[in-house]
Amino acid sequence: MDAVEGAVRDIIDGFRLTPLWSRLGWEQTVARFRRTILGPFWLTANLLAISFALAFVFGALSGVDYRTNFPTIIGGILAWNLIGGVLGEASGVFLASAGLMQTMKLPLTFHVLLMMHRAFINFLAQLIAFWVVLALLRLGALPTWHILLSLPLVLANMTLMSLIVAIPSTRFRDINQTVLFLTQILFFLTPIFWAPATAARPLRLVAQYSPLAHLLELVRQPLLGHAPALLSWEWGFATLFAQFAIVIVMLALFRKRVVFWL
Amino acid sequence: MSCSVRLDGVTLDYYVYSVRAQSLRNAVFNMAVGGKLYKDQGDITVVRALENVSFNLEEGDRLALIGHNGSGKTTLLKVIAGIYLPARGRVDVQGEMTSMIALGAGLDMDATGLQNIRKMGAMRMIPAKAIDARMGAIVEFSGLGDFVRLPMKTYSQGMMARLMFACATEFDADVLVLDEWLAAGDADFITKAMERMQGFVDRAKIVVMGTHNFALAQQVCNKVCVMDSGRITYFGPTEGWVAGGGGLKMAEA
Repeated sequence: MDAVEGAVRDIIDGFRLTPLWSRLGWEQTVARFRRTILGPFWLTANLLAISFALAFVFGALSGVDYRTNFPTIIGGILAWNLIGGVLGEASGVFLASAGLMQTMKLPLTFHVLLMMHRAFINFLAQLIAFWVVLALLRLGALPTWHILLSLPLVLANMTLMSLIVAIPSTRFRDINQTVLFLTQILFFLTPIFWAPATAARPLRLVAQYSPLAHLLELVRQPLLGHAPALLSWEWGFATLFAQFAIVIVMLALFRKRVVFWL
Repeated sequence: MSCSVRLDGVTLDYYVYSVRAQSLRNAVFNMAVGGKLYKDQGDITVVRALENVSFNLEEGDRLALIGHNGSGKTTLLKVIAGIYLPARGRVDVQGEMTSMIALGAGLDMDATGLQNIRKMGAMRMIPAKAIDARMGAIVEFSGLGDFVRLPMKTYSQGMMARLMFACATEFDADVLVLDEWLAAGDADFITKAMERMQGFVDRAKIVVMGTHNFALAQQVCNKVCVMDSGRITYFGPTEGWVAGGGGLKMAEA
């Protein structure tokens, strides 16, 4: 029981250090763009480049005007940059923090929350670009209130998923590499730039049973002015509780070990 | 508030992964340093870095940790600082802790000295206003002058040590944990640092310091802990250690 208590304390201590990781997150974001001329614009460059490229290619392939699918595609990329971006970074989160972990007493949750904070800053910058571009193209829609609940739900899910990925990735470096390439595959398997309704059956099933697809819709749909499907909410909460249970077990078993795995 | 450091039967193993246990074992047994390798499970090598370490430190104690490279000094400092959680035994530290274990750790090499002072303060959850109010004093003690406006990557090891020490000791902590890198500073700075550590003692704080500098240990510390292969071979007052010829023996070895 001691170990479970330690696991819960790790998470609580992580949140207690909010002033520290929120400050460090900003600093690290600013530091990334030190000596660049365009600065924070680079946060949004990826979103704009990929969205326009995909919308152009798929528009040309299917013969419809790129404007038809553009909001769905850019909303999908925006949400995926948060979900897939976190997943890709999560596997190396402790390795990246190794210096800090070996010189300061900090809970494991701290390092994940620091990464999540950076990802969230990233997301907000891209969200502004998303609104600006859609407004310029006269495709903009007002977000629904659901985002106020769904975004925190997705962030909580991704925080837990990061811990689940990060702990074994630190011990077994092959997992680290696997996650990186899985993230790329998941980009195609998640309905980001294709619609499940028009997809072949196997692909439709993937969209239906992939937790990431539901997390994606929880972010995208409210931003496009629609309420997310009830099914997505159910998946979102179910994965939240399931992941929380896994995280507690993992922290209880391996919390003390991670620093030796670096 | 009273502060104390208590260690009770602390045993700590390092698990070294993905190293060919066989060749590492040969290499280690041929070296005159190090902890004990005592078992291997396939690709995992276990190094016992600390074995059954126990001691108590009370207010005003300044402990010098002495021992060969690889004898477990830094590991012990990390255990006291709470970075490593021991496999067995208890560690109980009362009081706010400041640790300076690796030189340059947690610093942003592209940021200036001033920015890093603020960052180090932030890492200890000191409000920005309080840091700015003491900024002048920190810069003055570090003796870096206008260099604080340059990026840290232009600093030498000694300059970095000066800045980190100045920053760590400007704000009171109950327990100060220092590794041997203090020696990176020059003679002038070490004299200043020793004076400042004396000040810590007047305020009933605890200092734990890993060092190879026996003069420093004798002048600053009232207790000595000699480590060998992860075990304590001497723990007691500095006078006893000096009288036993410890300082001389170690210096020759």
